[in-house]
Amino acid sequence: MALVSLEGVGKTFRGKGGSWEAVRDFSLGLEEGEFCCLLGTSGCGKTTVLNMLAGFEPVTAGRILLDGQPVAGPGADRGVVFQGHDSLYDWLNALDNIAFGLRLAGMGKRARREKAGHFLRLVGLAGQEGKHPAELSGGMKQRIQIARALAADPRMLLMDEPFGALDAMTRAALQGELSRIWAETRKTVLFITHDIEEAVALATRIGVMTRGPGGTLKAVVPVDLPFPRERTSDAFMAVFRQVHALIHAEIHPQ
Amino acid sequence: MRDRVATLGGFAVGFALLFVAWHLAAVYLVHSVLFPPPSPVFWRALDLMDDGILQEQVVASLRRIMQGFLLGSAAGIPLGLAIGSFRPVRVLLEPWTEFFRFIPAVAMITVAVIWFGIGEESKVFLIAYTTIFVIIISTAAGVGAVAKDKLRAAQCLGANRWQLFTLVALPATLPFILTGMRLAMANSFVTIVAAELVASNDGLGKMLWDARLFMQVEDIFVALVTLGLLGFATDRAFRLAIRAFAGRFNPTM
Repeated sequence: MALVSLEGVGKTFRGKGGSWEAVRDFSLGLEEGEFCCLLGTSGCGKTTVLNMLAGFEPVTAGRILLDGQPVAGPGADRGVVFQGHDSLYDWLNALDNIAFGLRLAGMGKRARREKAGHFLRLVGLAGQEGKHPAELSGGMKQRIQIARALAADPRMLLMDEPFGALDAMTRAALQGELSRIWAETRKTVLFITHDIEEAVALATRIGVMTRGPGGTLKAVVPVDLPFPRERTSDAFMAVFRQVHALIHAEIHPQ
Repeated sequence: MRDRVATLGGFAVGFALLFVAWHLAAVYLVHSVLFPPPSPVFWRALDLMDDGILQEQVVASLRRIMQGFLLGSAAGIPLGLAIGSFRPVRVLLEPWTEFFRFIPAVAMITVAVIWFGIGEESKVFLIAYTTIFVIIISTAAGVGAVAKDKLRAAQCLGANRWQLFTLVALPATLPFILTGMRLAMANSFVTIVAAELVASNDGLGKMLWDARLFMQVEDIFVALVTLGLLGFATDRAFRLAIRAFAGRFNPTM
Protein backbone atom coordinates (compact mmCIF):
# COMPACT_ATOMS: atom_id res chain seq x y z
CA MET A 1 0.00 0.00 0.00
CA ALA A 2 1.22 3.48 -0.81
CA LEU A 3 2.42 5.63 2.10
CA VAL A 4 0.35 8.54 0.84
CA SER A 5 -2.56 8.50 -1.51
CA LEU A 6 -4.29 11.57 -2.86
CA GLU A 7 -7.62 10.48 -4.33
CA GLY A 8 -9.54 12.87 -6.55
CA VAL A 9 -8.39 15.80 -4.43
CA GLY A 10 -9.80 19.24 -5.24
CA LYS A 11 -9.58 22.65 -3.68
CA THR A 12 -11.93 25.56 -4.28
CA PHE A 13 -11.28 28.81 -2.45
CA ARG A 14 -14.23 30.99 -1.58
CA GLY A 15 -13.62 34.69 -1.09
CA LYS A 16 -15.24 38.07 -1.56
CA GLY A 17 -14.61 38.01 -5.30
CA GLY A 18 -16.47 34.71 -5.69
CA SER A 19 -14.95 31.27 -5.68
CA TRP A 20 -12.10 29.88 -7.72
CA GLU A 21 -10.73 26.43 -8.21
CA ALA A 22 -7.03 25.97 -7.42
CA VAL A 23 -6.76 22.19 -7.81
CA ARG A 24 -9.06 19.81 -9.65
CA ASP A 25 -9.34 16.02 -9.43
CA PHE A 26 -5.74 15.41 -8.38
CA SER A 27 -4.77 11.75 -7.79
CA LEU A 28 -1.30 10.49 -6.92
CA GLY A 29 0.21 7.80 -4.72
CA LEU A 30 3.57 8.14 -2.99
CA GLU A 31 5.58 5.02 -2.16
CA GLU A 32 7.75 4.71 0.93
CA GLY A 33 11.27 6.02 0.26
CA GLU A 34 10.64 7.69 -3.08
CA PHE A 35 11.60 11.22 -4.03
CA CYS A 36 8.71 12.70 -5.97
CA CYS A 37 8.94 16.13 -7.57
CA LEU A 38 5.73 17.95 -8.37
CA LEU A 39 6.48 20.22 -11.29
CA GLY A 40 4.24 22.93 -12.67
CA THR A 41 4.04 26.48 -13.89
CA SER A 42 3.37 29.37 -11.56
CA GLY A 43 -0.24 29.31 -10.32
CA CYS A 44 -0.94 25.69 -11.26
CA GLY A 45 -1.87 24.74 -7.69
CA LYS A 46 1.19 22.69 -6.76
CA THR A 47 1.73 24.53 -3.48
CA THR A 48 -1.95 24.09 -2.68
CA VAL A 49 -1.49 20.32 -3.07
CA LEU A 50 1.38 20.46 -0.58
CA ASN A 51 -0.60 22.64 1.84
CA MET A 52 -3.46 20.14 1.81
CA LEU A 53 -1.13 17.20 2.38
CA ALA A 54 0.59 19.12 5.19
CA GLY A 55 -2.84 19.72 6.71
CA PHE A 56 -2.67 23.53 6.50
CA GLU A 57 -5.71 23.64 4.22
CA PRO A 58 -8.67 21.25 4.16
CA VAL A 59 -9.55 19.55 0.88
CA THR A 60 -12.86 20.54 -0.68
CA ALA A 61 -13.13 17.38 -2.79
CA GLY A 62 -11.69 13.87 -2.62
CA ARG A 63 -9.45 12.69 0.23
CA ILE A 64 -5.85 12.37 1.31
CA LEU A 65 -4.71 9.27 3.17
CA LEU A 66 -1.45 8.89 5.05
CA ASP A 67 -0.79 5.30 6.16
CA GLY A 68 -4.45 4.69 5.37
CA GLN A 69 -5.64 7.43 7.74
CA PRO A 70 -7.25 10.64 6.43
CA VAL A 71 -5.19 13.78 6.96
CA ALA A 72 -6.99 16.01 9.45
CA GLY A 73 -4.44 18.76 10.17
CA PRO A 74 -0.72 19.41 10.52
CA GLY A 75 1.28 16.85 12.48
CA ALA A 76 4.78 15.73 13.34
CA ASP A 77 4.54 12.83 10.86
CA ARG A 78 4.93 15.31 7.96
CA GLY A 79 7.94 17.60 8.16
CA VAL A 80 7.68 20.74 6.05
CA VAL A 81 10.47 22.84 4.54
CA PHE A 82 9.09 26.23 3.59
CA GLN A 83 10.04 28.40 0.64
CA GLY A 84 10.92 31.47 2.71
CA HIS A 85 13.00 31.40 5.85
CA ASP A 86 10.63 33.35 8.12
CA SER A 87 9.65 29.96 9.51
CA LEU A 88 12.91 29.84 11.46
CA TYR A 89 12.95 31.05 15.07
CA ASP A 90 15.07 34.22 15.13
CA TRP A 91 15.56 34.06 18.88
CA LEU A 92 17.12 30.58 18.80
CA ASN A 93 20.56 29.71 17.46
CA ALA A 94 21.06 27.19 14.66
CA LEU A 95 21.34 24.21 17.00
CA ASP A 96 18.27 25.10 19.06
CA ASN A 97 16.25 25.72 15.88
CA ILE A 98 17.11 22.22 14.74
CA ALA A 99 16.31 20.84 18.21
CA PHE A 100 12.93 22.64 18.36
CA GLY A 101 10.80 19.61 17.44
CA LEU A 102 12.65 17.46 19.98
CA ARG A 103 12.00 20.10 22.62
CA LEU A 104 8.29 20.05 21.77
CA ALA A 105 8.37 16.28 22.23
CA GLY A 106 9.76 16.77 25.75
CA MET A 107 13.32 15.55 25.16
CA GLY A 108 15.89 16.82 27.68
CA LYS A 109 18.23 19.64 26.76
CA ARG A 110 21.35 17.55 26.58
CA ALA A 111 19.88 14.68 24.57
CA ARG A 112 18.16 16.94 22.08
CA ARG A 113 21.26 19.07 21.51
CA GLU A 114 23.28 15.94 20.88
CA LYS A 115 20.74 14.66 18.38
CA ALA A 116 20.36 18.08 16.76
CA GLY A 117 24.15 18.24 16.43
CA HIS A 118 24.04 15.10 14.32
CA PHE A 119 21.57 16.69 11.89
CA LEU A 120 23.48 19.97 11.92
CA ARG A 121 26.54 18.09 10.66
CA LEU A 122 24.42 16.09 8.22
CA VAL A 123 23.38 19.29 6.43
CA GLY A 124 26.94 20.59 6.45
CA LEU A 125 26.63 23.29 9.10
CA ALA A 126 29.28 22.06 11.55
CA GLY A 127 30.74 25.04 13.40
CA GLN A 128 27.65 27.22 12.86
CA GLU A 129 25.59 25.89 15.79
CA GLY A 130 25.85 29.09 17.87
CA LYS A 131 24.75 31.47 15.13
CA HIS A 132 21.30 32.99 14.91
CA PRO A 133 19.29 33.00 11.66
CA ALA A 134 19.98 36.73 11.16
CA GLU A 135 23.68 35.89 10.98
CA LEU A 136 23.34 33.12 8.38
CA SER A 137 23.08 33.21 4.59
CA GLY A 138 19.94 32.20 2.69
CA GLY A 139 21.41 28.81 1.79
CA MET A 140 22.41 28.11 5.39
CA LYS A 141 18.91 28.98 6.59
CA GLN A 142 17.42 26.45 4.18
CA ARG A 143 19.88 23.84 5.48
CA ILE A 144 18.64 24.58 9.02
CA GLN A 145 15.06 24.10 7.87
CA ILE A 146 15.94 20.72 6.34
CA ALA A 147 17.82 19.64 9.48
CA ARG A 148 14.98 20.85 11.72
CA ALA A 149 12.42 18.84 9.76
CA LEU A 150 14.62 15.70 9.69
CA ALA A 151 15.50 15.87 13.40
CA ALA A 152 11.86 15.36 14.34
CA ASP A 153 12.00 12.08 12.39
CA PRO A 154 8.82 12.49 10.32
CA ARG A 155 7.34 9.81 8.06
CA MET A 156 7.92 12.10 5.09
CA LEU A 157 9.27 15.48 4.04
CA LEU A 158 7.23 18.10 2.21
CA MET A 159 9.39 20.71 0.51
CA ASP A 160 7.80 23.80 -1.03
CA GLU A 161 10.27 25.26 -3.56
CA PRO A 162 12.89 25.36 -0.81
CA PHE A 163 15.67 26.59 -3.10
CA GLY A 164 13.56 28.99 -5.17
CA ALA A 165 14.98 32.14 -3.60
CA LEU A 166 18.64 31.12 -3.80
CA ASP A 167 21.22 32.06 -6.41
CA ALA A 168 21.94 29.45 -9.11
CA MET A 169 25.22 28.20 -7.67
CA THR A 170 23.99 27.87 -4.10
CA ARG A 171 20.90 26.14 -5.46
CA ALA A 172 22.95 23.55 -7.40
CA ALA A 173 25.11 22.91 -4.33
CA LEU A 174 22.07 22.40 -2.09
CA GLN A 175 20.44 20.11 -4.66
CA GLY A 176 23.55 17.91 -4.50
CA GLU A 177 23.46 17.94 -0.70
CA LEU A 178 19.78 17.10 -0.63
CA SER A 179 20.35 14.09 -2.92
CA ARG A 180 23.10 12.88 -0.60
CA ILE A 181 20.95 13.41 2.52
CA TRP A 182 18.03 11.62 0.89
CA ALA A 183 20.28 8.70 -0.02
CA GLU A 184 21.44 8.52 3.62
CA THR A 185 18.05 8.84 5.28
CA ARG A 186 15.73 7.37 2.59
CA LYS A 187 12.91 9.63 3.70
CA THR A 188 9.90 9.86 1.44
CA VAL A 189 9.96 13.32 -0.13
CA LEU A 190 7.40 15.40 -1.99
CA PHE A 191 9.28 18.31 -3.52
CA ILE A 192 7.48 21.22 -5.21
CA THR A 193 9.32 23.09 -7.95
CA HIS A 194 8.90 24.94 -11.23
CA ASP A 195 12.50 24.22 -12.27
CA ILE A 196 12.73 21.30 -14.72
CA GLU A 197 16.46 20.75 -14.19
CA GLU A 198 15.98 20.69 -10.43
CA ALA A 199 13.25 18.08 -10.77
CA VAL A 200 15.31 15.84 -13.07
CA ALA A 201 18.37 16.19 -10.81
CA LEU A 202 16.53 15.17 -7.64
CA ALA A 203 13.50 13.01 -8.35
CA THR A 204 12.87 9.33 -8.72
CA ARG A 205 9.51 10.34 -10.20
CA ILE A 206 8.25 13.65 -11.58
CA GLY A 207 4.59 14.58 -11.49
CA VAL A 208 3.86 17.23 -14.11
CA MET A 209 0.82 19.43 -13.55
CA THR A 210 -1.40 21.19 -16.05
CA ARG A 211 -1.49 24.97 -15.92
CA GLY A 212 -3.82 26.71 -13.49
CA PRO A 213 -6.30 27.66 -12.34
CA GLY A 214 -7.73 24.30 -11.45
CA GLY A 215 -4.50 22.42 -12.17
CA THR A 216 -4.37 18.66 -12.09
CA LEU A 217 -1.81 15.93 -12.68
CA LYS A 218 -0.97 15.71 -16.38
CA ALA A 219 1.65 12.96 -16.44
CA VAL A 220 4.06 11.08 -14.20
CA VAL A 221 7.58 10.62 -15.55
CA PRO A 222 9.83 8.06 -13.84
CA VAL A 223 13.46 9.14 -13.62
CA ASP A 224 15.54 5.99 -13.62
CA LEU A 225 19.01 7.54 -13.46
CA PRO A 226 21.78 6.69 -10.98
CA PHE A 227 22.94 9.15 -8.29
CA PRO A 228 24.92 11.37 -8.31
CA ARG A 229 23.38 12.62 -11.51
CA GLU A 230 25.45 13.96 -14.36
CA ARG A 231 23.52 16.96 -15.66
CA THR A 232 25.24 17.05 -19.02
CA SER A 233 24.80 13.34 -19.74
CA ASP A 234 22.62 12.17 -22.66
CA ALA A 235 20.32 10.20 -20.37
CA PHE A 236 19.75 13.30 -18.18
CA MET A 237 19.06 15.43 -21.26
CA ALA A 238 16.62 12.85 -22.61
CA VAL A 239 14.50 13.03 -19.44
CA PHE A 240 14.84 16.81 -19.43
CA ARG A 241 13.50 17.01 -23.01
CA GLN A 242 10.62 14.68 -22.22
CA VAL A 243 9.55 16.77 -19.20
CA HIS A 244 10.21 20.01 -21.05
CA ALA A 245 7.84 18.96 -23.83
CA LEU A 246 5.09 18.27 -21.27
CA ILE A 247 5.55 21.64 -19.56
CA HIS A 248 6.00 23.54 -22.81
CA ALA A 249 2.57 22.45 -23.95
CA GLU A 250 1.16 24.07 -20.78
CA ILE A 251 2.97 27.36 -21.29
CA HIS A 252 2.13 27.63 -24.98
CA PRO A 253 -1.18 25.87 -25.56
CA GLN A 254 -2.28 25.48 -29.17
CA MET B 1 33.99 48.20 21.49
CA ARG B 2 35.25 50.95 19.18
CA ASP B 3 31.67 51.50 18.10
CA ARG B 4 30.62 51.99 21.69
CA VAL B 5 33.41 54.49 22.38
CA ALA B 6 32.46 56.39 19.22
CA THR B 7 28.79 56.43 20.28
CA LEU B 8 29.57 57.65 23.79
CA GLY B 9 31.96 60.25 22.42
CA GLY B 10 29.29 61.43 20.01
CA PHE B 11 26.76 61.77 22.82
CA ALA B 12 29.24 63.74 24.95
CA VAL B 13 29.94 66.16 22.10
CA GLY B 14 26.22 66.44 21.33
CA PHE B 15 25.42 67.36 24.93
CA ALA B 16 28.33 69.78 25.09
CA LEU B 17 27.00 71.53 21.97
CA LEU B 18 23.56 71.74 23.56
CA PHE B 19 25.00 73.54 26.59
CA VAL B 20 27.15 75.80 24.40
CA ALA B 21 24.07 76.76 22.36
CA TRP B 22 22.17 77.42 25.58
CA HIS B 23 25.01 79.58 26.91
CA LEU B 24 25.29 81.61 23.68
CA ALA B 25 21.52 82.11 23.52
CA ALA B 26 21.29 83.24 27.15
CA VAL B 27 24.34 85.54 27.19
CA TYR B 28 24.29 87.10 23.71
CA LEU B 29 20.71 86.86 22.49
CA VAL B 30 18.22 87.08 25.34
CA HIS B 31 19.92 89.09 28.13
CA SER B 32 17.20 88.39 30.67
CA VAL B 33 17.09 87.19 34.27
CA LEU B 34 14.25 84.95 33.10
CA PHE B 35 16.65 82.87 30.95
CA PRO B 36 19.79 82.10 32.96
CA PRO B 37 22.87 80.64 31.24
CA PRO B 38 24.00 77.10 32.21
CA SER B 39 26.59 78.01 34.85
CA PRO B 40 24.28 79.51 37.55
CA VAL B 41 21.85 76.67 36.91
CA PHE B 42 24.67 74.19 37.38
CA TRP B 43 25.76 75.81 40.68
CA ARG B 44 22.19 75.93 41.87
CA ALA B 45 21.86 72.22 41.09
CA LEU B 46 24.96 71.50 43.21
CA ASP B 47 23.49 73.52 46.08
CA LEU B 48 20.23 71.60 45.86
CA MET B 49 22.12 68.31 45.80
CA ASP B 50 24.18 69.35 48.85
CA ASP B 51 20.94 69.75 50.76
CA GLY B 52 19.60 66.50 49.29
CA ILE B 53 16.56 68.34 47.97
CA LEU B 54 17.08 67.53 44.29
CA GLN B 55 17.63 63.84 45.01
CA GLU B 56 14.41 63.74 47.04
CA GLN B 57 12.39 65.13 44.15
CA VAL B 58 14.03 62.77 41.66
CA VAL B 59 13.39 59.74 43.86
CA ALA B 60 9.77 60.78 44.45
CA SER B 61 9.08 61.15 40.73
CA LEU B 62 10.98 58.03 39.65
CA ARG B 63 9.30 55.89 42.29
CA ARG B 64 5.86 56.90 41.04
CA ILE B 65 6.92 56.28 37.46
CA MET B 66 8.28 52.82 38.24
CA GLN B 67 5.24 51.76 40.27
CA GLY B 68 2.73 52.94 37.70
CA PHE B 69 4.80 51.69 34.81
CA LEU B 70 5.16 48.20 36.25
CA LEU B 71 1.47 48.07 37.13
CA GLY B 72 0.48 49.23 33.63
CA SER B 73 2.86 46.76 31.98
CA ALA B 74 1.74 43.86 34.16
CA ALA B 75 -1.86 44.47 33.11
CA GLY B 76 -1.19 45.61 29.54
CA ILE B 77 0.98 42.74 28.30
CA PRO B 78 -1.50 39.92 29.05
CA LEU B 79 -4.38 42.02 27.73
CA GLY B 80 -2.47 42.78 24.53
CA LEU B 81 -1.60 39.11 24.09
CA ALA B 82 -5.24 38.12 24.57
CA ILE B 83 -6.48 40.79 22.16
CA GLY B 84 -3.93 39.75 19.55
CA SER B 85 -4.59 36.03 19.95
CA PHE B 86 -8.34 35.71 20.28
CA ARG B 87 -10.77 37.41 17.93
CA PRO B 88 -13.70 37.51 20.41
CA VAL B 89 -11.49 39.19 23.01
CA ARG B 90 -10.36 41.71 20.41
CA VAL B 91 -13.89 42.55 19.36
CA LEU B 92 -14.92 42.97 23.00
CA LEU B 93 -11.95 44.99 24.20
CA GLU B 94 -11.06 47.09 21.17
CA PRO B 95 -13.79 49.64 21.91
CA TRP B 96 -12.23 50.08 25.35
CA THR B 97 -8.70 50.59 24.12
CA GLU B 98 -9.78 52.76 21.20
CA PHE B 99 -11.94 54.87 23.50
CA PHE B 100 -9.55 55.42 26.36
CA ARG B 101 -6.42 55.99 24.36
CA PHE B 102 -7.89 59.23 23.05
CA ILE B 103 -8.47 60.53 26.58
CA PRO B 104 -4.98 61.65 27.58
CA ALA B 105 -3.70 60.97 31.07
CA VAL B 106 -3.41 64.73 31.58
CA ALA B 107 -7.16 65.00 31.15
CA MET B 108 -7.64 62.27 33.75
CA ILE B 109 -5.72 64.18 36.44
CA THR B 110 -8.88 65.82 37.78
CA VAL B 111 -10.66 62.49 38.05
CA ALA B 112 -7.62 60.87 39.61
CA VAL B 113 -7.41 63.58 42.28
CA ILE B 114 -11.13 63.35 43.04
CA TRP B 115 -10.88 59.56 43.37
CA PHE B 116 -7.50 59.09 45.02
CA GLY B 117 -6.63 62.46 46.58
CA ILE B 118 -3.25 64.11 46.05
CA GLY B 119 -1.28 61.18 47.53
CA GLU B 120 0.71 58.50 45.75
CA GLU B 121 -2.31 56.58 44.46
CA SER B 122 -3.42 59.26 42.02
CA LYS B 123 0.05 59.51 40.47
CA VAL B 124 0.50 55.76 40.21
CA PHE B 125 -2.96 55.49 38.67
CA LEU B 126 -2.13 58.13 36.05
CA ILE B 127 1.18 56.54 35.09
CA ALA B 128 -0.44 53.10 34.85
CA TYR B 129 -3.19 54.65 32.75
CA THR B 130 -0.78 56.30 30.34
CA THR B 131 1.29 53.10 30.11
CA ILE B 132 -1.33 50.45 29.63
CA PHE B 133 -2.85 51.45 26.28
CA VAL B 134 0.43 51.93 24.48
CA ILE B 135 1.56 48.50 25.66
CA ILE B 136 -1.73 46.81 24.80
CA ILE B 137 -1.66 48.17 21.27
CA SER B 138 1.96 47.33 20.51
CA THR B 139 1.66 43.86 22.07
CA ALA B 140 -1.49 43.05 20.10
CA ALA B 141 0.15 44.32 16.90
CA GLY B 142 3.15 42.10 17.66
CA VAL B 143 0.98 39.00 18.01
CA GLY B 144 -0.66 39.82 14.69
CA ALA B 145 2.73 40.20 13.01
CA VAL B 146 4.00 36.70 13.88
CA ALA B 147 4.84 35.06 10.53
CA LYS B 148 2.31 32.37 9.60
CA ASP B 149 5.10 29.97 8.63
CA LYS B 150 6.58 30.18 12.14
CA LEU B 151 3.34 28.81 13.57
CA ARG B 152 2.89 26.28 10.78
CA ALA B 153 6.44 24.99 11.18
CA ALA B 154 5.82 24.45 14.89
CA GLN B 155 2.57 22.61 14.14
CA CYS B 156 4.47 20.32 11.76
CA LEU B 157 6.93 19.62 14.56
CA GLY B 158 4.09 18.54 16.83
CA ALA B 159 3.36 21.70 18.85
CA ASN B 160 0.11 21.83 20.81
CA ARG B 161 -1.75 25.12 21.34
CA TRP B 162 0.02 25.93 24.59
CA GLN B 163 3.45 25.32 23.04
CA LEU B 164 2.51 27.42 20.02
CA PHE B 165 1.74 30.29 22.37
CA THR B 166 4.61 30.04 24.84
CA LEU B 167 7.40 28.87 22.53
CA VAL B 168 6.52 30.66 19.29
CA ALA B 169 3.99 33.51 19.60
CA LEU B 170 5.34 34.93 22.85
CA PRO B 171 9.06 35.10 21.97
CA ALA B 172 8.20 36.38 18.49
CA THR B 173 6.16 39.18 20.10
CA LEU B 174 8.79 40.15 22.68
CA PRO B 175 10.50 42.88 20.58
CA PHE B 176 7.10 44.54 20.05
CA ILE B 177 6.35 44.39 23.79
CA LEU B 178 9.70 45.95 24.67
CA THR B 179 9.26 48.70 22.09
CA GLY B 180 5.80 49.43 23.49
CA MET B 181 7.29 49.63 26.99
CA ARG B 182 9.88 52.08 25.76
CA LEU B 183 7.24 54.35 24.25
CA ALA B 184 5.15 54.04 27.42
CA MET B 185 8.14 55.09 29.51
CA ALA B 186 8.43 58.32 27.52
CA ASN B 187 4.71 58.95 28.08
CA SER B 188 5.21 58.36 31.80
CA PHE B 189 7.70 61.23 32.04
CA VAL B 190 5.23 63.59 30.41
CA THR B 191 2.41 62.47 32.66
CA ILE B 192 4.27 62.52 35.98
CA VAL B 193 5.24 66.17 35.57
CA ALA B 194 1.71 67.20 34.69
CA ALA B 195 0.30 65.25 37.63
CA GLU B 196 2.80 66.69 40.08
CA LEU B 197 2.25 70.20 38.75
CA VAL B 198 -1.40 70.00 39.58
CA ALA B 199 -1.45 68.09 42.82
CA SER B 200 1.55 66.90 44.76
CA ASN B 201 3.73 67.52 47.80
CA ASP B 202 7.00 66.55 46.15
CA GLY B 203 8.56 65.45 42.89
CA LEU B 204 10.09 67.31 39.96
CA GLY B 205 6.71 68.67 38.81
CA LYS B 206 6.06 70.12 42.27
CA MET B 207 9.57 71.61 42.20
CA LEU B 208 8.75 73.33 38.89
CA TRP B 209 5.50 74.70 40.28
CA ASP B 210 7.03 76.05 43.50
CA ALA B 211 9.92 77.63 41.60
CA ARG B 212 7.42 79.43 39.39
CA LEU B 213 5.48 80.70 42.43
CA PHE B 214 8.62 82.09 44.07
CA MET B 215 10.26 83.20 40.80
CA GLN B 216 13.30 80.97 41.38
CA VAL B 217 14.27 80.85 37.73
CA GLU B 218 17.39 78.72 38.29
CA ASP B 219 15.31 76.09 40.10
CA ILE B 220 12.97 75.86 37.10
CA PHE B 221 15.91 75.16 34.83
CA VAL B 222 17.43 72.66 37.26
CA ALA B 223 14.16 70.71 37.16
CA LEU B 224 13.95 70.88 33.35
CA VAL B 225 17.53 69.72 32.81
CA THR B 226 17.07 66.94 35.36
CA LEU B 227 13.96 65.71 33.53
CA GLY B 228 15.78 65.71 30.20
CA LEU B 229 18.77 63.83 31.58
CA LEU B 230 16.63 61.30 33.48
CA GLY B 231 14.50 60.61 30.41
CA PHE B 232 17.55 60.23 28.22
CA ALA B 233 19.22 57.86 30.69
CA THR B 234 16.06 55.76 31.12
CA ASP B 235 15.59 55.46 27.39
CA ARG B 236 19.21 54.41 26.88
CA ALA B 237 18.86 51.82 29.64
CA PHE B 238 15.75 50.50 27.90
CA ARG B 239 17.48 50.29 24.55
CA LEU B 240 20.38 48.42 26.11
CA ALA B 241 17.94 46.01 27.74
CA ILE B 242 16.12 45.50 24.45
CA ARG B 243 19.40 44.83 22.70
CA ALA B 244 20.47 42.38 25.39
CA PHE B 245 17.16 40.51 25.14
CA ALA B 246 16.37 40.80 21.48
CA GLY B 247 19.25 42.41 19.63
CA ARG B 248 20.91 39.15 18.78
CA PHE B 249 17.91 37.95 16.84
CA ASN B 250 16.63 41.29 15.69
CA PRO B 251 19.46 43.51 14.47
CA THR B 252 17.00 46.27 13.58
CA MET B 253 16.29 47.10 17.23
